[in-house]
Amino acid sequence: MSVAMAAGIAALSVIGAGLGIGVATSKAVEAVARQPEASNKITTIFLLGAALAEATAIYGLLIAILIIFFLK
Amino acid sequence: MDFGPKILFVIPLLGGIPVTDSVVVSWFIVAFLGIIFYMGGRHLKNIPEGMQNVLEIILDFISSFVTDVTGPKGEVIIPYIGTVALYLIIANVIGAFGISPPTRDINIAASLAVLTIIYVIYSSIKARGFKGWLKSFTEPLGIILPFKILDIFTRPLSLAVRLFGNIMAGFIIMELVKDFVPVLVPSFLSLYFDFFDGLIQAVVFSLLTVMYVHEGMEKMED
Repeated sequence: MSVAMAAGIAALSVIGAGLGIGVATSKAVEAVARQPEASNKITTIFLLGAALAEATAIYGLLIAILIIFFLK
Repeated sequence: MDFGPKILFVIPLLGGIPVTDSVVVSWFIVAFLGIIFYMGGRHLKNIPEGMQNVLEIILDFISSFVTDVTGPKGEVIIPYIGTVALYLIIANVIGAFGISPPTRDINIAASLAVLTIIYVIYSSIKARGFKGWLKSFTEPLGIILPFKILDIFTRPLSLAVRLFGNIMAGFIIMELVKDFVPVLVPSFLSLYFDFFDGLIQAVVFSLLTVMYVHEGMEKMED
């Protein structure tokens, strides 16, 4: 039971990643609306930023998996 | 439920070397790429036809991907980035065809990340000279030195864990869904978790490698 709760708490890191990718997406949409011809560069930068933000959620997932498999 | 790499067979040398399925799949990917590019590159013509067209499109795409970030002097690093990018694209997307992707093995992700950081240091020494490389640790301020040294260890760690965690998460979710609903639903989810996520991770890994190498190669302008 305590292992499941610990894994659930570790998975809360998803909140941060979701907020970060949401902010990045909104700014990317604004930038494309201002300058449609720069959309290729903006897409590249946005994907990079989104991947970096997503990495935090992946760290949380990794910690949860490690807790489940190694703290039994 | 065990999602880790499975040991397929043991090479009877030095007391037995266990060979996992991720290594075997990697061998097949390397053989596939090698054969395709060897066959395509045997009879090169000025006016390309057939296979040569496809290979030139791939090469143009990779070279524009690199030179967009670095400018024309970054053409030196195209071979390394191209190799890593092609291997990663096939290795991440192969999960859609029912073969377990090799990059869900932390060892393979870590090997790629260590290779990348070695290449960054090598190209930095080649561009600035050894003294210039040592001097780069104290630019722009001397106080930044410990963080620059930490960077050598945290960068490959973050690269490896990002790649491994993403592919592993997609793999675990796909396996759970296949156990739960074996018909029709996995096909739609596989489009995202195998194709889209795998391609994005390959692009991100290559892009970060290009940026790290580019940062190491620049000289600070006084």
